[in-house]
Amino acid sequence: MNALVQLLLVAALAPLAHGAMKALRARFSGRPGPSILQSYRDYAKLWCKEAVLPEGASIITRCAPGVAFGVALTLAAALPLGGSVPPLPDVVGLIFLLAVGHFVLGVAALDTRSAFSGMAASRSMTFASLVEPALLAALLGAAALGKGTQLSSLLTLAHGPTSALAFAGFFLVMLAETARIPIDNQETHYELTMIHEGLVLEYSGWHLAFLQAAAQIRQLSFLLLGAILLSGGGVLALAGWAVVLAAAVSVVETVFAKVRLFEVPQLLATGLIFAVTSIVLRLFGAPA
Amino acid sequence: MRLRLLGAGSTLTLALLAAICAFVAATRGSVELGSVPASVPALQLDFALTPLAAPFLALLAMLGSAVGVWGLRRDRPIDAMLIAAFVAAMLVLLIASSVASFFLSWETMSLVSAFLVAAYHKRRAVRRATWVYLVAAQAGALCILATMLVLATHAGGWSFPAIATAAATLPPSARDAAFILAMLGFGSKAGLLPLHFWLPRAHPVAPPSASAMLSGAMLKVALYALTLVTFNLAAPAPTSWGVALMVVGTLSAIGGVLYALVDHDLKRLLAYHSVENVGIIAIGIGLALVARSTGDLALAALALTAAIFHAINHGLFKGLLFLGSGVVADTEGTVDLERLGGLWSHLVWTGPLFLIGCVAIVGLPPFNGFASEWMTFQSLIASWHAFVPAFALVSLAAVLGLSLTGGLAAACFVKVFGVAFLGHPRRAVTRPIATERFDAATLALMALAVLCTLFGIVPMLVVVPLARVVASTIGVAPPIAAALPVLPIALATLPIAAAIGVLAIERYRRVRTVPTWTCGSPVTPSAQYTATAFSKSLRTIFAFVLLPERRRIVEAGASSWFPKRIVYRTESRDIIDETARRFAALMLQFARRSRALQSGSLRLYVAYSLGAVIVAIALANR
Repeated sequence: MNALVQLLLVAALAPLAHGAMKALRARFSGRPGPSILQSYRDYAKLWCKEAVLPEGASIITRCAPGVAFGVALTLAAALPLGGSVPPLPDVVGLIFLLAVGHFVLGVAALDTRSAFSGMAASRSMTFASLVEPALLAALLGAAALGKGTQLSSLLTLAHGPTSALAFAGFFLVMLAETARIPIDNQETHYELTMIHEGLVLEYSGWHLAFLQAAAQIRQLSFLLLGAILLSGGGVLALAGWAVVLAAAVSVVETVFAKVRLFEVPQLLATGLIFAVTSIVLRLFGAPA
Repeated sequence: MRLRLLGAGSTLTLALLAAICAFVAATRGSVELGSVPASVPALQLDFALTPLAAPFLALLAMLGSAVGVWGLRRDRPIDAMLIAAFVAAMLVLLIASSVASFFLSWETMSLVSAFLVAAYHKRRAVRRATWVYLVAAQAGALCILATMLVLATHAGGWSFPAIATAAATLPPSARDAAFILAMLGFGSKAGLLPLHFWLPRAHPVAPPSASAMLSGAMLKVALYALTLVTFNLAAPAPTSWGVALMVVGTLSAIGGVLYALVDHDLKRLLAYHSVENVGIIAIGIGLALVARSTGDLALAALALTAAIFHAINHGLFKGLLFLGSGVVADTEGTVDLERLGGLWSHLVWTGPLFLIGCVAIVGLPPFNGFASEWMTFQSLIASWHAFVPAFALVSLAAVLGLSLTGGLAAACFVKVFGVAFLGHPRRAVTRPIATERFDAATLALMALAVLCTLFGIVPMLVVVPLARVVASTIGVAPPIAAALPVLPIALATLPIAAAIGVLAIERYRRVRTVPTWTCGSPVTPSAQYTATAFSKSLRTIFAFVLLPERRRIVEAGASSWFPKRIVYRTESRDIIDETARRFAALMLQFARRSRALQSGSLRLYVAYSLGAVIVAIALANR
């Protein structure tokens, strides 16, 4: 029951978080920007529209929005916010779960026969494979070391310089995983620079609604995960940190430019090094 | 025809026999099967069932029956017979219990598989690949013989129980010599880096059923032998062996998947993935060795369970993928990813089954690869806490390597499946292609896919009996995480349910199909992304290992702006092959230089002799 409430709450608030970040970013860059409720209106619009698919697309393309949406929901249900189902919040399982989403969208992108989608699939899989070790190391480095791989161990975390290192790694990885500048740009209209948007380029209408929902739920889940790393429990503290993180991401998006494609691996490697350093320090007995 | 039936029938019978042996060994423990006495004790052939061999016998049974069924329809008669002999050799090897019976069946296995690799011997490339395979196999066999001799001479007996009893008193130098020789011999057979070089050569030329058996079963038999030596015949192993195995395993996993990524021959790509998966299994075995030597028996049991579970799983999904690539080769006449495409529309059975194989090998829930990789991760992460920091660093590196491997494998199989099975065909299709019909070969694929799914959804089906087997080898039952039985279902339920939901909505909501948007230009098959293009970014990032080589030839037409033809080729080179080639070139150069010493002038030779005499006298007077 609690799990369902948590799931629905995260899913319902995800468009709000997305809208708020978008509005904040517009303010930072001196534009009036859309209302923070715009994402909800977008859903209403997309839901009414018919879906258009490329000719000859297989059943995989038609299933992919559902799988991506299900992956995001599972991620939301796995967050240790008090309502997660016991075996779900497992760090290693989570990494594999995210891989399911990447795999299905990548395969579907190649199914559309469009060179743009293929390019996006290639880039998305490339960066996903580099994100995986960094994310695993960041979460494990933050989690109580060697005491199992349950996410709930994040809640009993002691805070200090080493966990800050792990968080730094997590933040970089989060930018990549949620398609943010400096790695990806959600608001680009130029196919050659798209990664996540390129993957879903051929989707439209209510199919696209599912895919956007998946991306937004994943975004909020990562923000909450970051908030858990920072605060370690308490609903108010969590919400506060999530807002701070969302603002931080918006600042990063305003201040930085998108880096060149082949500089992204260096960025991700930096995240990995932060996370691994925190684990190594912990292994050699440094306090949290 | 009758010969093919005979071959396939014997394979199936042998598989049944293997299943019975596996069952007895797992339930009864060690059972003596008898022995063939010989006038010389060294030649005595002993046979026994041991618990450690049981999971490998079970794998042989499952894979053997699938390949047998496949053989009913697709194999050439001679290949079907050879496959039966190959299965027989592996079966005997798994129940061998003395040096002579082990080594004889090992050599039989190597030779029969060499004949399978040489199946299409009329082509030069095939004969070359067979030659490389035979050299690797025989050099490895010599190392194995040496291992056995070191162990047996110390024990003074030739049966495995006698050797195992005497192992406790082995002097350290002999123990290390045995391990290094075993690593060379079994490691080259298993395909561990850097001795994997025969795998990517032998697999593309072997028939699909032979590839399935080679990769699915024979590599595992080699790992069984390595486990047997390190956990039994030369036990207790010092910590350094386990660390060495973990390092080699991690390197093999990453190296294997990287070379797979840039390879576009489907069968060679799968061969490189075998290197990757053998690496993952080796990490588990290595961790078990380290844990056992440091006295943490529960962790050792867990790691060994994960390793053997992954060995079984890899046998199943790799068999599925190799047999699937056989169907592709039969219908398309090629397994070159650059020329395939759109198979999904007519390979209505193989397509979905191949997809299951891809998802399983990537390790996504709820398929079997996930369960065993998750267990490997769990045991590695648990070891951070248990080990002293120096070992924990090795296992941290293994965790990172393993997760990088997982991500790269996902990229690779998105490429394989997306390029070969989806999209438009990349070559000219002149006549409509017949839709695939269900036959014995499809049945074989289906059986393997069902097993991959079943062991993924209900991992305890394998893990529970496996835990008993491991407990009898190590002495302690592995602590199986409470999450394991439910985690695959928990992770996969919502994605599957949501996918079904979306398909259900489609029945009520309109979905219109239009031509793919290609910026207004006509939609052509060649506009699709290719396998080379797909792996481009990873090829660039990992250029330091992959050594990509690019050639671009532009044939100028009327002006340089309108070329008549552009040829673009890109190739990656295996760093091991490249090192060997450089070394050979260096030696040749050295030899050429030293030719100057042999000028043919008599006076110079007299001067050499004089010089030698002077040096000899000088040394003698010192």
